[in-house]
Amino acid sequence: MSAFEFLMQGLGTAADPMMLLYALIGVTLGTAVGVLPGIGPALTVALLLPVTYRLDPAGSLIMFAGIYYGGMYGGSTTSILLNTPGESASIITALEGNKMARKGRGGPALATAAIGSFIAGLIATLLLAFLAPSIVKLALVFGPREYFALMVLAFVTVSAAFGDSALRGLTSLFLGLALACVGIDQLTGQARLSFGVPELLDGIEVTTMAVAMFAVGEALFIAGQRVQVDDEVTAVKGSIWMNRRDWARSWKPWLRGTFIGFPIGAMPAGGAEIGTFLSYATEKKLTKHPEEFGNGAIEGVAGPEAANNASAAGTLVPLLTLGLPTSATAAIMLAGFQQFGLQPGPLLFATNPTLVWGLIASLLIANAMLLVLNLPMIGLWVKLLTVPKPWLYAGILLFATLGTIGANPSAFELGMLLAFGVLGYVMRLFGYPIAPIVVGLILGPMAEQQLRRALAISQGDWTTLVQSPIAATLLGIAALALIVPLILRARGKGEVLSQLAGDED
Amino acid sequence: MSVSRYEPPRRRDTAALIIAAGLVVIGGVMLWDSARLADLGGYSGVGPASVPRVVGFALMGLAVWTAVEALRGDFPQRAPQNALPVLWIVAGLAAQLMLLHVAGFSIATGILFAFTARAFGKRNLATTIPIGIVVSFVVWAIFSQLLMLHLPAGPLEHLIFPRG
Amino acid sequence: MKQFVLASLFAAATALPAMADYTIIAPANPGGGWDQTARTMQAVMQEEGISKSVQVQNVPGAGGTIGLAQFASQNKGNPDALIVGGYVMVGAILTNNSPVSLKDVTPIARLTGEYEAIVVPAASPIQDVAGLIEALKADPGAVSWAGGSAGGTDHIAVGLIAKAAGVDPTKINYIAYSGGGEALAAILGNQVTAGISSLGEFEAQIQAGTLRLLAVTAPERLEGVDAPTLQEAGLDVVLENWRMVAAAPGLSDEQKAKVTADIEKMAKSENWQKQLSDKGWMDTYLAGPEFEAQLEQDVTSTEAILKDIGLVK
Repeated sequence: MSAFEFLMQGLGTAADPMMLLYALIGVTLGTAVGVLPGIGPALTVALLLPVTYRLDPAGSLIMFAGIYYGGMYGGSTTSILLNTPGESASIITALEGNKMARKGRGGPALATAAIGSFIAGLIATLLLAFLAPSIVKLALVFGPREYFALMVLAFVTVSAAFGDSALRGLTSLFLGLALACVGIDQLTGQARLSFGVPELLDGIEVTTMAVAMFAVGEALFIAGQRVQVDDEVTAVKGSIWMNRRDWARSWKPWLRGTFIGFPIGAMPAGGAEIGTFLSYATEKKLTKHPEEFGNGAIEGVAGPEAANNASAAGTLVPLLTLGLPTSATAAIMLAGFQQFGLQPGPLLFATNPTLVWGLIASLLIANAMLLVLNLPMIGLWVKLLTVPKPWLYAGILLFATLGTIGANPSAFELGMLLAFGVLGYVMRLFGYPIAPIVVGLILGPMAEQQLRRALAISQGDWTTLVQSPIAATLLGIAALALIVPLILRARGKGEVLSQLAGDED
Repeated sequence: MSVSRYEPPRRRDTAALIIAAGLVVIGGVMLWDSARLADLGGYSGVGPASVPRVVGFALMGLAVWTAVEALRGDFPQRAPQNALPVLWIVAGLAAQLMLLHVAGFSIATGILFAFTARAFGKRNLATTIPIGIVVSFVVWAIFSQLLMLHLPAGPLEHLIFPRG
Repeated sequence: MKQFVLASLFAAATALPAMADYTIIAPANPGGGWDQTARTMQAVMQEEGISKSVQVQNVPGAGGTIGLAQFASQNKGNPDALIVGGYVMVGAILTNNSPVSLKDVTPIARLTGEYEAIVVPAASPIQDVAGLIEALKADPGAVSWAGGSAGGTDHIAVGLIAKAAGVDPTKINYIAYSGGGEALAAILGNQVTAGISSLGEFEAQIQAGTLRLLAVTAPERLEGVDAPTLQEAGLDVVLENWRMVAAAPGLSDEQKAKVTADIEKMAKSENWQKQLSDKGWMDTYLAGPEFEAQLEQDVTSTEAILKDIGLVK
């Protein structure tokens, strides 16, 4: 049988009403847990995996796929509505998405996220099905120096989220880098900046920090405002659906996000966040409405959300073709596959085609189910914003702490949540942007480790960093992205640029 | 922060100077800690102390820059703040933290809920605390009993789910 | 809405009794070996009726030492609390200067284990252990080893190999990766000279011919594995990355006996055996004084090699 026939057969099995019900349950459960801030897809899948044990293999596989995609998607809803990212890959979504929601455009923001996720999931799953073996060959070319170059590029793109002051953007970024140093150094096992506190040995949990910075910091800031008039949240203005203009502005970011997110997700050390950063920076560069960035540009939601979901499918490439679990989520998926007797690896597509194609068909169905579940829910979700402020913020803090407690029920973790919440408040007060500190915390350790690995392999020879064509190209792009705006400014076009950038905060 | 862009009268910004001092302290701590580390650079030449050192110096530099802007009064105008509501939320989070393992999730989180509502204008704690506890308990029941999340249980949880 | 809440409460109360006979701490994030061991124990103990309801709690961090410390301090004398752990913990306790050690809990039994495998990419000119040792002796820095975190089992194994071959263990060029997956990608991508990890991580690649298996750290040849042991290749290195279960400190003899009996019942059940073979885990069940003696010996030898590598002063 050809790949296509296998896929059709898988889809045929999955189209059974009972199977569709399992998919629906899986998607619902996955979204319900994944929506909690601080609980990412890894924990969601780990928690819900036992639920699938009781079903027959086909049913369990499809419910599992539903949980995976549901957990991946869940984070964006709270990001957009409550400015509380559910996991690190939806931090970028909060930047523009929440601004849209505050202007009464929460409906279109959620819709573009849902449809973008669907389209990205669809394309990426098909790419996974038909191109996985060749993509993985490309991904393996990436060694430490190539990853380092990729991280440098991602760092440069962070400046897209700097706002109007280079000083405050850089300060925020370097605070993030400082926090990233906390904990055991992975390459030598030495404890850094942990002052003998055992809880600090593993470093600062990105999700705790993101939830604190966004949710807690924001709640404190809003509560402290004496004049609350100009910040009145409008629940719905205009249609809650996307209008023609929204569609026109969304479809390209969806596609670009997909093609940025998928290969990065497929790289063994890529990670979903990097794809969202790069997608955001790309959209900001290409948009015809630069003035809207920072004030709720729909492209800034559509692109990163698509990238996020595409990288979720991308993660499956090394997992299925090499048996390589490249993220915590993938490691749990691997455990899940083993219960179906499916041993991922280079021979999987040859030895076990029915199951693989069954899984891919299940992912496609789950993806569609997610859209079916979420589009009608948008009307309901947007109503959340009409909840009176006291109850809304009480609820936000309830769920923010619930997520932190659920992931790690220790007083220390809650203490960090409080401390970073206060830090987030102070930063907001003085006009420091929040995104760079979180991005620094995520990218810092990755870049440092890859650099040191590259140098260890080359035995201290720094030229190794530019000796590979891929690394050299990536570094070149990063350098251009950094230098070109400076040259333009020097030539007197600076005024235009600063005007464009001036409307952000 | 982008709403009003009028030029404020230039004056020394004390709060921003304090931030600059804070950055010096953080940078200093990083340099002090990295000096303590054994330089196990191995073959890479870049050891565990290298990156903290670079970040430490960068923070010092940013502190100087911040101080300059503070002296020139270049920091943006800040919206006036009420301290009381902020303190209520901080108190709520602190109370939750301390009560979590003693009183269980519902009571601890119920207090956070009520204090937050207080910060946003619902002043009657006699009604908001019970509401908070009930809401938290429902959430606890759904997530810990149906979705198997591990959430600390206290007297209230044990009362209703005797062996939970 | 109200009805929904009531209904879910009712469902919660009836469908899933909240009783937790045992609580198992997995001192790692979801997805790793310890987490999977804990969750497999959970499933088997429930199915076998050893315990009606078992809860798994993840307390990640610092090679399991954070979970261990929390477990030891919060559960003194609690016969219902268990923790999963393993060889990695032995090293982590030493490298992190952990105030709590395995002496502060009650080790019950070794459940499963894996041996380490030494591999090179298929395209590598190195054909066997002798070739690898020759390269190592010629220039230790030029031989880069990809494996798991610094001070972990993989790192210790490389240190032992260097020492047995007469090469200074502080001179090894060990590249630590955060997980087996990332290390494997580096080996497959020809980024490093050799790779070391548990055999299971490499098995599929070895079968597919993309990796060449040089040796395993088992005491004797493994069934179905076409490679010599390191001892056969002339290096006196045997290393098992085992996983165990321990109970709380301060248990009475009866309590300890009951926990041991429950674990033995689980480990001997068909269900557990089936899970082991599904997951490709070896059954290396060992309990009682033999296990305690083994543990003692591992702690001593690990401390020695970590000092040799320079990770512990």
